[in-house]
Amino acid sequence: MRQYDKMTPEGTRDLLFEECDVRDFVSRRVAEVFKGHGYGKVSTPGIEFYDVFSSNSGSYPQESMYKLMDNHGRILVLRPDCTTPIARLVSTKLKQQRPPFRLYYDQNVYRVTRSLSGGSNEIEQIGAELVGSRSRMGDLEIISMATEALDAVGIAQYRLEIGHIGFLNALVARLDVPAQTREEIRRLINEKNYPALAVLLDELPKGEAVEALKQLPRLFGGVEVFETARRLFRDEKAISILDYLKQVYLNLCQMGLESKLMVDLGLVNENIYYTGVIFRGYVEGSGEAALSGGRYDKLYEDYGEELDATGFALDVDILAKTLLAANQYPKPKAAEVLVMYEAPYAVEAVIHTRSLMKVGIKSELGFFTDVEKARAYAREKGIPRIDLVSDQVKTIG
Amino acid sequence: MKPLRIALTKGRLEDSTVELFERMGFDCEGLRNKGRKLVLTIPDANIQVVLAKANDVITYVERGVCDLGVVGKDTIMEIGRSFYEMLDLGFGRCRFALANKKGEDFYQGYHAKVIATKYPNVARAYFKQKGMDIDVVKIEGSVELAPLLGLSDGIVDLVETGTTLKENGLEVKEYIADISARLIANVASMKMRKGEIDKLLSSMEEALKQKSAREEKQAEASKKEEERKPGTEVETTGQEGRSAIS
Repeated sequence: MRQYDKMTPEGTRDLLFEECDVRDFVSRRVAEVFKGHGYGKVSTPGIEFYDVFSSNSGSYPQESMYKLMDNHGRILVLRPDCTTPIARLVSTKLKQQRPPFRLYYDQNVYRVTRSLSGGSNEIEQIGAELVGSRSRMGDLEIISMATEALDAVGIAQYRLEIGHIGFLNALVARLDVPAQTREEIRRLINEKNYPALAVLLDELPKGEAVEALKQLPRLFGGVEVFETARRLFRDEKAISILDYLKQVYLNLCQMGLESKLMVDLGLVNENIYYTGVIFRGYVEGSGEAALSGGRYDKLYEDYGEELDATGFALDVDILAKTLLAANQYPKPKAAEVLVMYEAPYAVEAVIHTRSLMKVGIKSELGFFTDVEKARAYAREKGIPRIDLVSDQVKTIG
Repeated sequence: MKPLRIALTKGRLEDSTVELFERMGFDCEGLRNKGRKLVLTIPDANIQVVLAKANDVITYVERGVCDLGVVGKDTIMEIGRSFYEMLDLGFGRCRFALANKKGEDFYQGYHAKVIATKYPNVARAYFKQKGMDIDVVKIEGSVELAPLLGLSDGIVDLVETGTTLKENGLEVKEYIADISARLIANVASMKMRKGEIDKLLSSMEEALKQKSAREEKQAEASKKEEERKPGTEVETTGQEGRSAIS
């Protein structure tokens, strides 16, 4: 049975030439930014134990993970996320060292997406984690670095939205409803499903939290959002969160990001380990977020560590697609010399390409017996020079 | 500037949306006389209209090739996925209902109930919330046939007037959800083009408000009429834009 021997599994694809070049370019440029801020590269295994992703502070949806079995019958998964394995790495391998830790990674994650949706199940992510920083400086460092990364790959048109998961939590905490309803409310807010949310909230007893929740999905825009939110919900905790987020917002404006920045108090990221400021970035031409991240202060508790952390990941595939569409990436040059040879001088021809390589000239061996065929090939490939190797090397045009 | 692209569900929802556009002051000449074209533009408004089947509207919006879409809540409930549901447009009203043979007790007996439906996910979700195991049979055409032929215990389907049910000896057992047309938006478009979309949204809301105010007045007027002339029956369903099936 060889039915599938010519196909790749759904959601995966072969990448050819410029698709790889543009990915390399994105990785390299973003890595330069990370390194420039003192981040060091780490790499975690592609397969991890299932348990890593089913922790207290946030388990990954079971049906979205590729599962395998090891030879002891234990469940393994292809990593669906990089932040959790890095928490595992930091709390085991870096136990003896003093925080903060600045780490970055560039690796694939694997997620089972809906069938026939055209989505990717294998996604290259490049991201950074700042572990052991409680302060606003940590949030600023990470968000600022995210925008620097987009700048570095040459993406000028993007939008960055920031929110705070604590605001929503404060609102929902004030509701006197069962846990299931709470989850439902969260989901509806994330989907910006105004009509269904309104229907659900109408059934609840009236109160400030309910009214504020009704407005929450519309609470996105510029700095005015903070005032509107303050008037809607006079909860002490919520107000201190708003003040904090506003401070972050204003600081980012000071960095000249105002035109790209939005506040979305209804923002809920898909990974549920987030505890503080969260953010997402969108680029022109992609229907999905190109970057997402935020603060996750509870994740390390799962590993018995008291470490506050924040981080983000860029979707390399989305950025690569954007650059390809805009034809905006450095293209590799064609070979400068096509090396031909007369039959007895095959080895000399290879030696000639080696010597060209040493002086930095790109060459390609030509397997032609006929000079005319070689010329046609060189024209087609845009190779300007042909060297013919016999008892000596002759450039024949 | 790139036009705002909006996908409409072909058929009745499309007609009602075009009416709404007209009330908003858009020139819909091209949309009225579209021939076989699937991509149309509204002049002066920088809006491009795409015509598609309901499921595809969601796919196009989710994948971001269309910024906005008009699609029935029935399709949204059945196929879900990730986008923003922005506005209840109020037309295309009907309801999801569980129906079975008239006079029969749907819940009798211990056997797992068999449900025939075009909406397997809606049916499954409804009974899951009741904690009931069911067998779903997907039917493509007239679902009403299934219980009549003895294939299923009941059906989950869209019901508007209930006439088809009645004529086939079925009745509504429970209503599951109210359905109407919704305006949906791509997540990234909502962030990248907030200004344009907000403008369009508030103009839509304005047009919808005016319409419902007018309808209320009309309803009141006809009510008065009714009071004045006792004995005459006036139908006030307040419904327009019939949905997929009835």
